[in-house]
Amino acid sequence: MGAVTYPNEAVITFINEKVVPLRIGSAEQPAKDFSINWTPALLILDKNGKEHHRSIGFLEPEELISAIVLGIGKMHYDAGEFKEAITFFEKIVDKSPGSDSAPEAVFLAGVSRYKSTKNALPLKEAYEHLLKEYPLSPWAKRASPYRLL
Amino acid sequence: MAKQIQWETVLDKALSRGKAENKAIFLDFFNPQ
Repeated sequence: MGAVTYPNEAVITFINEKVVPLRIGSAEQPAKDFSINWTPALLILDKNGKEHHRSIGFLEPEELISAIVLGIGKMHYDAGEFKEAITFFEKIVDKSPGSDSAPEAVFLAGVSRYKSTKNALPLKEAYEHLLKEYPLSPWAKRASPYRLL
Repeated sequence: MAKQIQWETVLDKALSRGKAENKAIFLDFFNPQ
């Protein structure tokens, strides 16, 4: 991460502007508190220190930015802030549709739309989107029951 | 001086910043060896 991803200018700008970046060695106490057994372990926490997303292993620049955006979206999703969550999930779908985070973002955007409207159609639309664009994704399998809606 | 990520290194300080700036915390656990 330190050799390839963190020197990337887009990554530097994004991280400095959008999140509070925190770097801690794997031998320090917080690593034990978060049950870290492998590095890099990349977590998104809310301002109270609660974890909402975790990624293990190297991520190239675009993947890291998408993973952080996904994590922020999941932070809002976990708080029941579905409209805010949707804006972050849609950023991934619109700007980084080829990223590894995109299928999960499509899935969670559909769920968030359902949760905020109680209309089941977004769940079916999410499945159809996943089937078309990410048919081999595990998220397409997870959304497959929604085809019946 | 080259542009760099402005890392915090202490969890409590990062959480305080998160509250003050209303931002999520991106936490990278790394192997220092």
